[in-house]
Amino acid sequence: MKASPGDGAPHGPSGRGRRRGRRGMRIGYKIFLVGGFPIAIAAAIAVAAVMLLGEADRARSGAILAGAIHRNVLTAVTERDRYVDSLPGERDMHSARFAVPTERAEKDLATLRDIASDGDDAAAIGEARQALVHYVMSMGQLETVTQQNDMLIAEMAGRASRLIELTDEARQRQHDSNADIVAALSQRDRQVRDARDLVEAGYALRSALSAAGVQAIAVLAGSEAARGEAGDGLNGSLRRLRYAVAGLSSVLRVQGKGEAADELEAMAAGFGDRLMALADPSSTPLDALRAGEPGGDVEQALTQWAERLLKVYTTQYRALHDEMAELLTYSVKAHETEQATQNIAIAVLKLGDAAAGAFKSRSPEASAAVLDESRAVADAIVGLPISPLIQTDMIDAFERWREGLSTTTEGLRQQNALIAGMDAAAERMTAAARTLDQRFTESAEAIGRSIRTVLILGAAIGLVFGAGTAAIVARSIVSPLKRLQLGMLDLAGDPHRGRIEGSWKRDELGDMARATNVFVGEILRREHALRRSKDRADQALAELRRTQAELIQAEKLASLGQLVAGVAHEINTPLGIALTTSTVLDQEVSTFRQEASSGRLARASFDRFTARMEEGSRLLLANLRRAADLVHAFKQVAADQASGERRSFELSRWLEELLTSLGPMLRKGGHEVVAECPEGLEVETYPGALAQVLTNLVTNAITHGYGPGERGTITIRVRPLDGTTLRIVFADDGRGIPAENRRRVFDPFFTTGRGGGSTGLGLHIVYNLVTSTLNGRLDLESEPGHGTRFTIDLPLRVAEAVAEPAMEEIA
Amino acid sequence: MRRTILTVLLLVLGAHAAAAKTLVFCSEGNPEALNPQLVTTTTGMNAAMPMFNNLVEFAPGSTEIRAALAESWTISDDGRTYVFQLRPGVRFHPAPDFTPTREMNADDVVFSLMRQWDESHPFHKVTVGGFDYFKDMGLLELIEAIEKVDERAVRIRLARPEAPFLANLAMPFNAILSAEYAATLAARGEPERLDAWPVGTGPFVFDGYQKDVTVRYRAFDGYWRGRQPIDTLVFSITPNPAVRLIKLKAGECQLMVFPDPADAAAIAADPALVLMRQEGFNIGYLSLNTRMAPFDDVRVRRAVNMAIDKGLILETVYAGAGVVAKNPIPPTLWSYNDDIEPYPHDAEAARRLMVEAGYANGIDTELWYMPVSRPYNPNGKRVAELIAADLAMIGIRAELRTEGWQEYRIRLQSGSAPMALFGWTGDNGDPDNFFDVLLGCTAARPGGNNVAKWCDRDYEALVSRAKVAPSRAEREELYRKAQVIFHDEAPWVPLAHSVVFLGARKAVTGFKMDALGRNIFEGVDLSDVDSR
Repeated sequence: MKASPGDGAPHGPSGRGRRRGRRGMRIGYKIFLVGGFPIAIAAAIAVAAVMLLGEADRARSGAILAGAIHRNVLTAVTERDRYVDSLPGERDMHSARFAVPTERAEKDLATLRDIASDGDDAAAIGEARQALVHYVMSMGQLETVTQQNDMLIAEMAGRASRLIELTDEARQRQHDSNADIVAALSQRDRQVRDARDLVEAGYALRSALSAAGVQAIAVLAGSEAARGEAGDGLNGSLRRLRYAVAGLSSVLRVQGKGEAADELEAMAAGFGDRLMALADPSSTPLDALRAGEPGGDVEQALTQWAERLLKVYTTQYRALHDEMAELLTYSVKAHETEQATQNIAIAVLKLGDAAAGAFKSRSPEASAAVLDESRAVADAIVGLPISPLIQTDMIDAFERWREGLSTTTEGLRQQNALIAGMDAAAERMTAAARTLDQRFTESAEAIGRSIRTVLILGAAIGLVFGAGTAAIVARSIVSPLKRLQLGMLDLAGDPHRGRIEGSWKRDELGDMARATNVFVGEILRREHALRRSKDRADQALAELRRTQAELIQAEKLASLGQLVAGVAHEINTPLGIALTTSTVLDQEVSTFRQEASSGRLARASFDRFTARMEEGSRLLLANLRRAADLVHAFKQVAADQASGERRSFELSRWLEELLTSLGPMLRKGGHEVVAECPEGLEVETYPGALAQVLTNLVTNAITHGYGPGERGTITIRVRPLDGTTLRIVFADDGRGIPAENRRRVFDPFFTTGRGGGSTGLGLHIVYNLVTSTLNGRLDLESEPGHGTRFTIDLPLRVAEAVAEPAMEEIA
Repeated sequence: MRRTILTVLLLVLGAHAAAAKTLVFCSEGNPEALNPQLVTTTTGMNAAMPMFNNLVEFAPGSTEIRAALAESWTISDDGRTYVFQLRPGVRFHPAPDFTPTREMNADDVVFSLMRQWDESHPFHKVTVGGFDYFKDMGLLELIEAIEKVDERAVRIRLARPEAPFLANLAMPFNAILSAEYAATLAARGEPERLDAWPVGTGPFVFDGYQKDVTVRYRAFDGYWRGRQPIDTLVFSITPNPAVRLIKLKAGECQLMVFPDPADAAAIAADPALVLMRQEGFNIGYLSLNTRMAPFDDVRVRRAVNMAIDKGLILETVYAGAGVVAKNPIPPTLWSYNDDIEPYPHDAEAARRLMVEAGYANGIDTELWYMPVSRPYNPNGKRVAELIAADLAMIGIRAELRTEGWQEYRIRLQSGSAPMALFGWTGDNGDPDNFFDVLLGCTAARPGGNNVAKWCDRDYEALVSRAKVAPSRAEREELYRKAQVIFHDEAPWVPLAHSVVFLGARKAVTGFKMDALGRNIFEGVDLSDVDSR
């Protein structure tokens, strides 16, 4: 079907149109033009917007990050302050809390650096990062310094309390010692009194002795007349001496110096005797002169004794006094020592307080001032009369305390320097963060404005261009299309009318015209071919139906044949017996006839003949009746099969008859059929179809269900399901149907036993009969190795009309 | 990190310091100096000894010589050349302004001896006291040369053989000082600090001296015989024995010297205290200045000897703890002449002697007594009072005088006290240490330890010969003769040889009293038994 431009020339509208058509743009281009403009503009806008939006997002997230950094820096500063201000035990917590915002800030800064495009931003970020690194590093140093300080301060407190402890110990010792001092003093006091008593009594004795000596000399030197008077004086001196001796003696005895008292008394007694003799008026001075000195050895001894006593006890008295003075001095000194120690303790406590205050306010100046002050205390500890037992300890403890203070002061300086450095860094960071925030925010806003402008401009341009182009293009498309439409409508009215004009055009309309022409031609050709092939198909289908019907008929006949063969076999037996019996009877009759004719018929023979006849006729009757029965049964079955009529019958009896007719087939394989069916169950259906169904199922079971030599049991259970339905369950215990075959067993010509002569129609027929003729349903359950089970649900009464078409179809 | 370690170290040291063991020794008086080269009293020696070592030393509790800073020595056959091999690994103490850079060597030994011996030695003049003991021992004349052989050997040559030379070297004044320290001080222009802040090799490091209060020491970690068990040693200067006892009882000190003999029984009875006693290797005497009238007259000296009731002094002041003396050496020292008949206590005979000497009207004089307890005299003042009472009986009116111990000693040694109580504890176990040091002509010079300033040619000859006599028997014979001269010439009134007491708290372990009157703290420890 060739189309040449020449063909279409008479139909062509005009030369101008052709020219225009040739020059005209293809619709595709036009549409592309119409859609393309706005799309391109939209795409451009989109690309620009996406880029700008990306920029804006970047800027906005930059601003957010900068804000976060700012907040984190402030949090870090707060935590740092808390760290510094908190108690040593709580510092770790703040240190940990410090780490969180700084890490975040660091991460944010890293992110921000990736975001930043601008050199100024990068510089600000770099600045902030540097400050942050410095800040974190300073915090590490601050922690180290603070820990050291805390440790030193704790240690200093330990040392200060050690000092206090030492002073307390010293005071306790001093208190204990005071008791000893008091005891020693009172002992000395007692001794002093004793010594004083002895010394006083000794002086009394000495002066009494010298007085007595003087009196004695007076007696010796005196005139006769004066002797009496002097004797009186001597007596007085004697009395005084006795008193003195008694006094000293008693003092000595009181002080437990009894021996000395005895000695004294003995000497004093001798001396007294001498003086008494002198005082005696009867004696002469010559006697006394003969005796030498007035007191003689006795007086000298007594005097020396007294002198010695005085020497011992005066010196002792003084020594004791000195000792008491020393003890009192010591007591005062000890008190001073204690006071000095206490003062030092107080000074230490004050210094400790001052130091604690300095630490708390983190003032190295105050701390240094305390250190200066403490020098005086250090000097005092060395210089004051502190108990030597603790002095060295105190010096050491205080020296260490001062060392600690000195180190801590330095630590405070470091701490403060670090804090100041950190504050500066934090200031730099927050400033940078603020700047960045501002810059990013501004940038985001600027980009937002750009996007708006781009969108508005782009949309306007797109609209104008799109609309213009669309109008032009639409006109250039619509008019040729209308023409084409008219042409096509004409052609649809009569395909044979000819061709559509405009096929000369180069554009899509030309293409469409050409295509329509081709299409119409093609339709004509196809229509023709279709008609021919439909005819052929119809023929084939008819043939096919015929063949199938023939096959099914053949199958039916085959099963009928089987039935016939079975029935023939059944009949054969009674007929055979009847034949044999009749043969025997025939012989008997001829024998009897001979006997009777020969007249040698004996009574006995007659009786035997009669009996034999009776028996024979009975046998004949029985067997022939049986044969007749069988024929009847067969006739019915066969009739059913053949007629395909619907009738009403009692199912159990019918089933029994059917199974009888199937008997030989079953017996051949040695299979058993168990049928259960309630008696008196009347059904109105197509017995032929039903018989065919059951026969086919049995055949199928025997042929396919069991291997050669296998004996099976086939169960047929019939029961009414309800008033209208009947269920027949047909089951064998054979090998079952594999799953892949299960769906296909009802297909026509499907068989697994093609080699064994199966047609593959048996179960197809069953299916068709059950579903069509018998108006029932069929279910198959099978498990390989566990037999197969067909469940057939049938209506008790089948309507007449239903089965016919199907049957007819098959037939 | 370094700082942390330092802090930990401080903590450890702090903990150590908190558990410091402090031994407080209640001593009787201020040391006259801290450099043993400058002292002559046991008080001074005891204060110096913890810080120093000598080439050789007396084994504690005896007069046996044993090696100390000299590991070994050899003596030449003629007895005049001694070569000492020095011990290696001996370290000197650090001082606040000095850190030793080397171990002790021959330079230190030479410096220590030369300083005393060589009058032109730059450090010879750097002291006010001089080197009295060195001089009194006659070492100036005895020693001929002191030489460094090598870093570890020193040779000393003597002018003549001298039996007690090793014993002399063991005496505190021959302690070994640090030449390096001296050089450092000299370079800094403060050489006098050598005597003010001692640096030695001994078990304890000097830590400060407060007159009338304390001398403080710390254990020397680098001591060549090992660190001491106690950390701090303090001499608590307490002149009065009653106060010392109070302190001992209070636990303010753990050791006290010279308790009043009258308190001995009470100390022995106190369950917290221990009373130690040692037969004194000493002599307490009244020195009569033979160069001052009227004691330049032997009759007066003898009169004084007879006037004094020594028995009463022993009975009352010493509480019987000791024996009455008649010779200048203790009866436990070899060569003691027991044949000497002591002067009787006879005031009448004494008076006659005074009249005979032309002092019928008596005399006025001064009797000086020591202000502190001494091992040989527990209470100088009371002894002086008793003596004054006795002397009053023969017309000697003695004014009792005293002053600070240091000044007192100087006064006596300078020879300006007419009558003075003094005494001596043997320093080296040799009779020479009494006969020559206390009564020889060398010691009679002003500043010498012969406070009677007695110089008797016969006596001097005997004692000098005794020094170089080859055998002890010969020496003994010479000393016995010397004692006869001493008795006849009576420069002293020998009063008593005391039993020396020492009170200690039960907690003190390892402390032994020493016959030579030294208090040795090396190896002393404190147990925990002290209840107070």
